[in-house]
Amino acid sequence: MARKRSARQEAMQRAVMYPLDWLEERSGLVGATRYFLFRKVPGDTSWWHTLGSATLTAFLVQLVTGVILAMYYKPDPRSAHASIEHIQHDLTLGWLVRGMHRWGASVFIILMFMHMGRVFLFGAYKYPRELNWIIGVLLLATGLFEGLTGYLLPYDQTAYWATVVAININGTAPFVGPYLATLLRGGAEIGPDVLARFYSLHMLLVPGALIGLIGLHLYLVVRLGVSSPPWSRDAAGRDPDPEPPPVRSGLVQPGPRAAGVRRRPAE
Amino acid sequence: MSSLDERRAGFQRYKQDVKTRGKPFYPYAMFHDTVMSLVVVCVIAGLAVIWKYWDVLGTTLGPKADPGTTSFVPRPDWYFYFLFYLLRIFKWPESVILATIGIPTIALVLLLVIPFVDLRRERRLSRRPVAVVAAALTVVSMGVLTYKGATAQEAIASEVEAAIPSWAQKEGFAGNKEALAGAKLFAESACVSCHTYLGTGSSNLGAPDLTAEGAKGKGIQFQIDHLKCPSCVNPGSPMPSFADLGESNLRKLATFLEASKGPK
Amino acid sequence: MEDRPGDDRPQLPPPSLWPVGFAVGIVCLLVGLVVSWPAAAVGAALAVVFGFLWAREVATGRAQVAGPPPAEPSPDAPAIPAHRGEAAMPEPEPGERFPRSKFLEGATLGLGGVIGAIVTLPAAGFAVLPGFLKQKAHEVDVGPLTDFEENKWKLVTFLRDPSEGEISRRTAYIRNNGLLDGKPSFTVISNRCAHLGCPVQPGGPLFPKQEKTVKTDNGEVQVTPMLPAAGFICPCHGGAYDQEGNRTAGPPVRGLDRYEFSIRNGRLILGNTFSVGKVVGSGKDARIKRYELTGPGQHVDGIESWLYPLQPPH
Repeated sequence: MARKRSARQEAMQRAVMYPLDWLEERSGLVGATRYFLFRKVPGDTSWWHTLGSATLTAFLVQLVTGVILAMYYKPDPRSAHASIEHIQHDLTLGWLVRGMHRWGASVFIILMFMHMGRVFLFGAYKYPRELNWIIGVLLLATGLFEGLTGYLLPYDQTAYWATVVAININGTAPFVGPYLATLLRGGAEIGPDVLARFYSLHMLLVPGALIGLIGLHLYLVVRLGVSSPPWSRDAAGRDPDPEPPPVRSGLVQPGPRAAGVRRRPAE
Repeated sequence: MSSLDERRAGFQRYKQDVKTRGKPFYPYAMFHDTVMSLVVVCVIAGLAVIWKYWDVLGTTLGPKADPGTTSFVPRPDWYFYFLFYLLRIFKWPESVILATIGIPTIALVLLLVIPFVDLRRERRLSRRPVAVVAAALTVVSMGVLTYKGATAQEAIASEVEAAIPSWAQKEGFAGNKEALAGAKLFAESACVSCHTYLGTGSSNLGAPDLTAEGAKGKGIQFQIDHLKCPSCVNPGSPMPSFADLGESNLRKLATFLEASKGPK
Repeated sequence: MEDRPGDDRPQLPPPSLWPVGFAVGIVCLLVGLVVSWPAAAVGAALAVVFGFLWAREVATGRAQVAGPPPAEPSPDAPAIPAHRGEAAMPEPEPGERFPRSKFLEGATLGLGGVIGAIVTLPAAGFAVLPGFLKQKAHEVDVGPLTDFEENKWKLVTFLRDPSEGEISRRTAYIRNNGLLDGKPSFTVISNRCAHLGCPVQPGGPLFPKQEKTVKTDNGEVQVTPMLPAAGFICPCHGGAYDQEGNRTAGPPVRGLDRYEFSIRNGRLILGNTFSVGKVVGSGKDARIKRYELTGPGQHVDGIESWLYPLQPPH
């Protein structure tokens, strides 16, 4: 696309490109971003393929709203409930941030299940994407655990008792159950440290694990590529079309059937 | 079952196809992603707004946690309702561990193992009957369990007592002092832990709904005898005996039950 | 100072004391500004004099120092691929070993392991162990014996450990069984269900109008009369227990836990909780099969108890 550029436009382009080139020469980041943005994906990707990035968006909403909430929430049993009331009723738009965080969790989990279902039905867990599927299942389990730890934090009746039951459910696991329950509780009974323990898990350990797993997940998606929908006639990587049957002249006896004539199912 | 070489060759063809016929991620696919992400953010914000201004999504914050309470029934967040309801299905002591640990662990292991069990290259749904059936069964069963977990009723004594005036009106025993006193006893004696009545209470251990108990014409004496010794009157019943309430309290309860002939 | 074109050798001046004197002068000047004016004046003078001498030496020195012309930049070497070159270990000559490099490899990994252990083990121990150390025994005074009439049930709410505050609030169902061999006998049952820990409800009415609040050393204790005619029933999944805490129906895997108790100065003192397999008999004649405190949902007897061979310390 050769467009005649005035000298002024040339100068402006150089000015814009200069910092990018500076960064690229010293880090390679610009090239990596370009590769990510302009890499080829199959031309028949559908709206079903948006569920994965939608899940990522929900997670980012949780991250941002969670960070803001953490600035006002007090993880001590004596003041946790009051701090949530403060956020809900007194702080400007506190109700919106808290509401988005609470419902964002539900949306995140729904989207994870939908994305998992989509990947399963598209057969996108097959070679070479098995590792990505396993990482996805780990993400599901970790995401559910994040929801579990977050549920205690408002410290109202629902939160406290649901957590009592959840920890006891973990305690029924054979052999390690009692130890697992004690580990989660920080003791034999739910004591003053449980809230801080769950807060640390919810804010630091589990989000760290989620971010790490998501990074791996995205890396594999970029490396291995996005699969076409299975119904697509133009699917990338489908089996090659069978050869056309040989032309028969009609003047000679037809020979034995060639092997390539029988149609193989397209994949 | 496709061999590893066939699968590798298939992936090479995929890469070749994408190279020759693929489109750049930006802007083609990324446009779809951006639209969907916008929808997601709007839905989340919308739910937050609805939660604050209307009652349909439940209360924004309950009363402060009271570890010594005797009148609260715990529930998890909605996405655990399917596990929550499983616990109601497995109600024999020997089977508890199945519902708490067994089934979820088995489900997780099955999920992890899928790519190693299914080694066929076939991706079209019409040729993957096992996958389609398994997915349909999973979705349906989790949906049903979640729904039943969501609608599973429980009741706390104080909530139930507060409902008595409306019961009296619906069932028509508002003028009957004995029946009103019996209704209060009914609410306080944890009867609704196993029985449902006019939409409140839980249904556990096969206990029948008592909304129209009086319409069955069993009579007050039957009710008193039953309350004194349920398994004598109804062999195999897991209901405990309420004999210690005393004769006059039992009469009040029996009157209430017999006056409950169903909503008018 | 402009370099001459092509002059990219580092400048190497001959040793000189003028910069030292200049620096001393500057220091004196600055200190003197804070401490005393005469010192500042001396410092300024020193700085000017030595600075002048230094500058003169440098200006004249450059003209005298003339090094060899700089070498031409070497012709383009072939580009070294990123994965080879000096960064990689050279292949060993045949017959040669690298004992030193092996030692270094081992030492690096070993020291890394030690450092990792020093950092993570205390942190992990700090996070994990406190829950497993023996919890201190809590004794709770729930009031004078006179508050507990014989054969009457009371719902008692107290703080297990007042220093922990509200989070240690617990409820127990207490009945005075009269005297056994001259000593008071009590049935003290915990209100946490043995299935999954939901709060259990009494199978009968409470009498909140007769509630008493007793002031004790461990905070306020609420004592409410009640009549659990049908025992105790759990609303979560329909678990039912009789008045001794034995399971009669539903999913609980054993009976309700109990509290140890003692009598001191005419007051009822509650101690540690323990788990119960089965209670035979009732009231003061009850014989309790006792186990160490076990979490809800975990069997204490029967074949399933082998699933839970060890309990963390309480």
